Amino acid sequence: MILQSTIMPEQASEMAWHVDNLIWFITGVCGVVGLGVYVAMLVFCIQYRRPDDRIGPAPTPRILGSHKLELIWSVIPLFIFLGFFAWGAYVYNMALHPPEDAPEIYVVGKQWMWKVQYPGGQRVILGQNALTFADDVGGAGYFEGLMVLPVGRPVKIVTTSEDVIHDFGVPAFRQKIDVVPGRYTTTWYLPTKTGTYDVFCDQYCGTNHSLMVGKLVVVEPAEYDAWLAGTWRPGPANRDKTGVDGSLAHQGRQLFMKLNCIGCHNVQNSKAPVLEEIYGTRRPLKGGTSVVADDNYLRESIRRPREKVREGWEPIMPHFDAAKASEEDLIKVIAYIKSLKKGDTPKRNEDTPAPVGAETEPKAGPTSAGEGKQ
Amino acid sequence: MSAVIDPTTNHYENTPPEAGPKSYLSDGYSIWSWLFTVDHKRIGVLYLVMLLIFFAVGGFLAGLIRLNLIQPSGSILENDQYNRVFTGHGVIMLFLFLIPAVPGVMGNFFVPIMVGAKDMAFPKLNIGSWYVWMIGAVFMVWAVLAGGIDTGWTLYPPYSTRSAHTNVVTGVFGAFITGFSSIMTGLNILVTIHRMRAPGMTWGRLPLFVWAMYATSLIQLLATPVLAMALMLLMVENGSQALGMPIGIFDPALDGDPVLFQHLFWFYSHPAVYIMILPGMGIISEIITCFSRKNIFGYTAVAWSSVGIAIVGFLVWAHHMFVAGISYYAALLFSLLSMLVAVPSAIKVFNWVSTLYRGAISFQAPMIFALGFIVLFNVGGLTGLYLATLGSDIHLHDTYFIVAHFHFVMVGGMVLAFLGGLHFWWPKMFGVMYSDFWSRMAAVLIIVGYALTFMPQFWLGYHGMPRRYPNYPADMQFLNVMSSAGYTVQLAGFLLIGTYLALSLFLGKKAGPNPWAATGLEWAVQSPPTTHNFEATPRVVCGPYEYSLNLTQTGETADVR
Repeated sequence: MILQSTIMPEQASEMAWHVDNLIWFITGVCGVVGLGVYVAMLVFCIQYRRPDDRIGPAPTPRILGSHKLELIWSVIPLFIFLGFFAWGAYVYNMALHPPEDAPEIYVVGKQWMWKVQYPGGQRVILGQNALTFADDVGGAGYFEGLMVLPVGRPVKIVTTSEDVIHDFGVPAFRQKIDVVPGRYTTTWYLPTKTGTYDVFCDQYCGTNHSLMVGKLVVVEPAEYDAWLAGTWRPGPANRDKTGVDGSLAHQGRQLFMKLNCIGCHNVQNSKAPVLEEIYGTRRPLKGGTSVVADDNYLRESIRRPREKVREGWEPIMPHFDAAKASEEDLIKVIAYIKSLKKGDTPKRNEDTPAPVGAETEPKAGPTSAGEGKQ
Repeated sequence: MSAVIDPTTNHYENTPPEAGPKSYLSDGYSIWSWLFTVDHKRIGVLYLVMLLIFFAVGGFLAGLIRLNLIQPSGSILENDQYNRVFTGHGVIMLFLFLIPAVPGVMGNFFVPIMVGAKDMAFPKLNIGSWYVWMIGAVFMVWAVLAGGIDTGWTLYPPYSTRSAHTNVVTGVFGAFITGFSSIMTGLNILVTIHRMRAPGMTWGRLPLFVWAMYATSLIQLLATPVLAMALMLLMVENGSQALGMPIGIFDPALDGDPVLFQHLFWFYSHPAVYIMILPGMGIISEIITCFSRKNIFGYTAVAWSSVGIAIVGFLVWAHHMFVAGISYYAALLFSLLSMLVAVPSAIKVFNWVSTLYRGAISFQAPMIFALGFIVLFNVGGLTGLYLATLGSDIHLHDTYFIVAHFHFVMVGGMVLAFLGGLHFWWPKMFGVMYSDFWSRMAAVLIIVGYALTFMPQFWLGYHGMPRRYPNYPADMQFLNVMSSAGYTVQLAGFLLIGTYLALSLFLGKKAGPNPWAATGLEWAVQSPPTTHNFEATPRVVCGPYEYSLNLTQTGETADVR
């Protein structure tokens, strides 16, 4: 019974420490001010009460106010509040900007479950969905997975939603982020303590909003690496679901071929920009503007390619809506585009049949559509 | 109520201001004399009756919520039922109680009298606003009866615009209509204050309740159209999908932007919080001065802080969206502006407490409510700082901490102020006095009940319990049960109030024109007032709170009459 025995909820991340310090600082200052107001009220109410509790005229001094006091209790609170603001902005800044080298873990929200995708291609499903998720976990009914994170290593969490707005919140990390359909939002964690923690959906999302919950387990880095490699798996229900099945980038490469992105985004016969090493660079657009090719831009360029057209190219790309490429597919394709180095774009060779059972390491030839969606 | 009863006459509309004690209550008894009245006092009473009904319904729904949360797995409601119940609670309490409560009842009833006018500037617009409000309410009730709305009162798309939610269009249309009522009332009060003040009633002599209503009306007039727009767009997207011709505005699947709705919605709904609380603050200024027999400390500061809140309140809406994926710099700006809006509220609290200094304080029910307001609003206001601060908001957002915070402001603040005002002005409105002893008991019960209900929720929120959960981890049960227990204490208080106020109408002893020996113009007329309030236009000679000189605003001696 944690709530009944302790005042402080568990702190399991770097940010938890910062947020708690801020919260208790505000509590301290507000406590002093609030108690001051209460004590003054109490003293006045006792000292100046009417002994007979009567209604009616009474001799009281005609005090109209004091400019000096008004000034004092306007300016001092203002500075206190600005202090809260500054400290809050400092913590928020930290919460919003992950270290550059943090690996990206993708979380896709869906009524009413979380689909977690690791860079290595491992997938975990949190929460339960009593309706139709046979397609996702291979069985109906209750399913419980565990999201695994390493202690002491930062991870970046990139989220999006397939349907309505959700919110991925981990109280022990003091972090939450709205999971908005149609865009990516990001947060990051630096877990500092091993253990199992609650994941809540914090934005109301329908019937089973309160069941869109799951557990997140923080383990030692060695265990984490073993788990990623498929040799250590938490939870019996997850045993056959989290093994390595090709990295996100590799799955993205397969989709890149399957969806025939390569048909135009190739080197030999380009009808569209080659996508090597474009991630994070500034891309000039038709009409003289430009945009940084971040996750959201890449996503938009697949879903609605004609919104922002690259300078020098024709708007010929078809829309890829959710029926053609799911949110999870997009994450894979974007992971692939991010991983594309100079000269990595596969050769377009439609005459060569795809090798059966393609390897994790990209080879020279393209994989066929037969490889299929995961 | 009144001595002279003449049931044959029904000429309420054109009665000349004849001398005599005939009150507005005895000016016609037929149902039509109420439904077609243009008397601002009768309209206030019409609002009061409906508001109390809606408050009872909303309170009942709150009871279902608290009952369900006694058990971690939910004790009585299915998830879908629970979602409909909390949405119903929010929609009814906000659109049908909190927003129209003080402007509709006390604003209508007392603003004209307090400025020395015989009616509102636009009496027919005034009764029109009540009808418009009722039409909106009918649509909302229809939506509830037709199966309920399960989107939460915030109506975030794309959840609310998916075509399965057909009741949303009905309910939202209701809210859209009540918005017009709000605009009409706001406009009416603004014009009344500008144009109808009695001779000598300068801006510096306006009671602070009138100042607060002025600021409130400003917000109603300027912010409500934005809500109407947002709700209209929501209905278009929802309805067009139901008709099979989707028009995408907010749903990303239709190339819309869901965060756009949040901007539009909170552009109204944050100022709406001040629509709810500002009139309450005005009531507190009236009560504190009267029961401590003191001039208000810092009249100008209190008056202008209302206007300051109204203006700065327009610039803080995105603090509801710090974790919604808005830009980093927008978040910084809105956090900073939110800090500014906290200052005027702090000024008010300090001034009220200073007013008590060297007063002659008595503790009748209105005063207990007012002191309770300061205690609870103080908690609500200070906890708002946690949420305006970016770093702590990322943890506390969308948890029970928020629920506790806004209930402390809305319920601990606004509802207590409403009850304080009701008890303060009850003898004026109906000419009768309620039980002194039981009213004090009820006030204490309700204040204790509020604290017991919502204090534990701060802890729940800090420990991460999300809002709108019909079930929760088992280790959070103790605090939830505590909160539910607090509800029953409040319920006892409300039932008590309902009982003695109802009894007072029939058995209460007659109240004189000025039972509190107060100084405002409303106490210069008889209780209950005549249809045209003043027999002769009053001449105002001094400020509203000359308790130490013991002078009413018309220059007479303030005494119990």
